Amino acid sequence: MSIAYLLVALGLGVFALAVWALFWAIDSGQYEDLEDQGKSILEEEDGSAP
Amino acid sequence: MSTADALHTRWTLDAGEHEHVVFLVEGMRCAGCARGIEKAVGGLPGVESVRVNGANARVSVDWRGGAITLPQILDTVSRAGFTPVPLAGSEASRHFQRERRAALKRVGFASLGMMQAMMYLGALYGVSDIDAAMMRLMAVTGMVIVTPVLFYSGAPFLIGAWRDLSQRRVGMDVPVALALLLAWLPSVVNTFRGSGEIYFDSVAMFIFFLSAGRFLEMSVRHRGATAAEALARSLPARVTRLLPDGAREEVAVEALAPGDRFLVPKGAVIAVDARLAPDSAAGTNALLDESLLTGESATVRRADQQLIRGGSLNVGPPLTLIAAASAGNSTLAAIVKLQERAQDEKPRLARAADRAASWFVAVILVLAAVTGALWWSVDPARAFPAVLAVLVVTCPCALSLATPAALAAATTRLARLGILVTRADAIERLAGADTVIMDKTGTLTLPANDIVEIKLLAGTSRDAVLGIAAALERESHHPLAAVFRGHENPDVLAAGIREFEGAGLEGIIAGERWRLGTRAFVAAIAPEGKVVALVRPRADDVTMFLGSEAGLVAALRVGTPLRPGAPQAIAALQAQGLAVIIASGDANAAVQDAARALGVTHAHARLTPYEKIWLLEEQRRHGHRVFAIGDGINDGPVLAAAQVSCAMGEGSAIAQSAADLLLVHEDLSVLPRAVATARRALRVMRQNLGWSLAYNLAAVPAAALGLVSPWLAALGMSLSSLAVVLNARRLAAPGDGS
Repeated sequence: MSIAYLLVALGLGVFALAVWALFWAIDSGQYEDLEDQGKSILEEEDGSAP
Repeated sequence: MSTADALHTRWTLDAGEHEHVVFLVEGMRCAGCARGIEKAVGGLPGVESVRVNGANARVSVDWRGGAITLPQILDTVSRAGFTPVPLAGSEASRHFQRERRAALKRVGFASLGMMQAMMYLGALYGVSDIDAAMMRLMAVTGMVIVTPVLFYSGAPFLIGAWRDLSQRRVGMDVPVALALLLAWLPSVVNTFRGSGEIYFDSVAMFIFFLSAGRFLEMSVRHRGATAAEALARSLPARVTRLLPDGAREEVAVEALAPGDRFLVPKGAVIAVDARLAPDSAAGTNALLDESLLTGESATVRRADQQLIRGGSLNVGPPLTLIAAASAGNSTLAAIVKLQERAQDEKPRLARAADRAASWFVAVILVLAAVTGALWWSVDPARAFPAVLAVLVVTCPCALSLATPAALAAATTRLARLGILVTRADAIERLAGADTVIMDKTGTLTLPANDIVEIKLLAGTSRDAVLGIAAALERESHHPLAAVFRGHENPDVLAAGIREFEGAGLEGIIAGERWRLGTRAFVAAIAPEGKVVALVRPRADDVTMFLGSEAGLVAALRVGTPLRPGAPQAIAALQAQGLAVIIASGDANAAVQDAARALGVTHAHARLTPYEKIWLLEEQRRHGHRVFAIGDGINDGPVLAAAQVSCAMGEGSAIAQSAADLLLVHEDLSVLPRAVATARRALRVMRQNLGWSLAYNLAAVPAAALGLVSPWLAALGMSLSSLAVVLNARRLAAPGDGS
């Protein structure tokens, strides 16, 4: 029985971790642009070239 | 500049006796909120009109200057419980980003919470033989997870409902919040009591579906605003102004006045309409990319004194420019204004749906109360779930999404075809049009002269003929000379060119004397020999001949050719059941020629703008709904008077501001596809409205009879909204032949 309390507490901990990770991802702009990042690898480097 | 003035330039588009402002408000969620703002601002002294668009959260106010100031209006809006945000520029895009991130967090948190709650609370559905202590543990865990979901992800609904109730009106959030609290509160009580029904999982699921629906609705609204946004956002907020003494200062774009000199570095967007300064470091040419304005990404060259349009990208060396117009009067500002106008206005169908939705909410609340009362007298234990089911299942989300979703999808599709929608009602009215009135010159034909036909009379090739003609015309300033530009051949050079007024040109090429001009002029040096059957000249065309002392070589016909795709476009429009009429100010013969070539039987020539309107009125009297297409200043009145109208992208500003649609790429062949898209959009809107009404009519009795459990109701509600959005999305999908 007491193992159930431990498991529920662990489960809630993982839930909190998942929510924190999601909020971090949204706040750092991971969901802003879902297309261009994938295409960026196909583009030329535009460093110092004129 | 004082703070009040700065605020003024930042927010308003025009100044003067009649002031006008458009801004966004945060926190507007329903038609009820819109009326709240309208009432509050409309009651201020001097305010002439207030339009609030709930679909895209825009407020537009007209007021008499002097009677009241902008800060007072904004203050009134804040006191009504909404945060005003300026429309253009980075402030609005930051606002969109903030709104989007907050909505994403709400949806994400609700979805994680919903899944967790279902896992723990699944144990309570009586599948396994667990003891009471374990069931209690599961219920408490569910409460710990769902309560933050309710007060974080569900906050917009609770706050919205509170605002509605505190202003004594019923909005769409009222039944939603009522359902959430009615499910959550007894569950908390039952958890502590240790017996009774627990609805935490249903609460989490309902919030997830509702906030996902809100997120979709918000994306639709943002997409509508981004077309104008993309233009406005690409403009720099600040420019470097050059003072007469050579000093530089950073100023806001709004502060730039005509005549001011300013610097544009390489790679920067030019903020306002301007001309090249004579002493610019770049010399006398500016290299620009006008793709933002025209959609074509070729580099163009602007010599000094030519107007450089604001919104062009400087791809050449740094430029010193002299502003030709203020930010509010530049080309880009005019386009942005047209787009914004489309978004302030609310289509008729959407207004009808809004009115229906607020009635609907009142009816739901009554129904829920009646259901509760009846069940209470029959079986009190079942009264509560039935009331909950009625409240959840009838959430009017589908009804309120039905038209905006379809219109947004159709607008996106049209934009992809190269047609900008500048008035909200345009799509609905385009679908109903049955007659097309088209201008000829500049619309069906190209606006400038070009070579329509070349008849080769000797063995010389077409390219050689054009090369010789271009060499002879190289120095000429005659209007017709322009058509040969671009055909020059560097190996063919003409010497001793002489121009004979009203006859043609003469020059020596490779030792041979050539003439280009009227037939008699060329025949004077060329032996007539065999005269071939010549091209039949069209009324407004000019036929030119080319010949040397060896004989006539070619006959060239110059005129305004039909636009590529025009015959196909006309044929397709006729196949769609639209009657096509040509209404032109040109000479009769020219119009009849074009009509014959296009297969149009009704063509009217030599019409003044008034006569075009008269023609339109005549069609209207016969019950026809007219779609007018034109480009010139003389088409402005008929475009404004027609039920729905389209202006050419190269056409005059007057025509464009009068029209409902703007054909950006000048390709007439997209017109039939636009008509087909509009017709499908109208069909989808009707399907959506019909479907959401039918769903509610079927679901309400089932819920009231207690046949629907709260979680099933949440599922049904969200599936009905999803069906409406997916149905609308079909419109935006390309590649279905129309």
